[in-house]
Amino acid sequence: MATQIVMDHTGDTRHYFNPDDAEALVKAEVRFKELTGLGFTAAVRVSSGEVSKIRSFDPSAEETLFFPRLVGG
Amino acid sequence: MVLFRQYPKAEVRSRAKAVRWLYRKFLAQNTEEGRGLRLMRDWLSPRQREQFDGTGYFDVVGCVTGRKYRIYHNVLPPNVFEVDDAGRRKVGLCFAPVGPLVKGDVMLAQKIALETDEQSALAAANRIPLTRARR
Repeated sequence: MATQIVMDHTGDTRHYFNPDDAEALVKAEVRFKELTGLGFTAAVRVSSGEVSKIRSFDPSAEETLFFPRLVGG
Repeated sequence: MVLFRQYPKAEVRSRAKAVRWLYRKFLAQNTEEGRGLRLMRDWLSPRQREQFDGTGYFDVVGCVTGRKYRIYHNVLPPNVFEVDDAGRRKVGLCFAPVGPLVKGDVMLAQKIALETDEQSALAAANRIPLTRARR
């Protein structure tokens, strides 16, 4: 199972999908595009603790994390 | 002299123990704050996780400049500081993801931003001189 983790006021919301299921993969890609279109940043872990920002959907990522755009405080 | 050398060490040990106890308590709770902290810890490097568990903050290195930043948990904004090699604060940086997020989420977003897109994070951040930054 792969997971898309979206930060929100509850801590996070998780969307699980089977990367071997073509239909689920399409839905996950649509969600990726919707979130990044709204200004969310998408990131994946490339090794223990190392994080990489991604700009396009990565179907092989086990976990993709989304957080809202940054603003100055 | 012996007393002077022993007392601070004891205080430091006691403070570190209190911090560890506090975070274990938070992490065990199935609350928004607990979930946010668990998510953040999962995405920290082993070194950052160890540092956070012992002190309540962790250090990150900017991907472009190589500067070191320290991200704190329980402080009033700004909770991010640029620090020198000795860990002394140089300037506060006030930035966060938009919307009502829990602290663990905010800290994780700040870490990822500085480690993967430092220039955008710095462009968004308001720089707070140390004279105005509170602890």
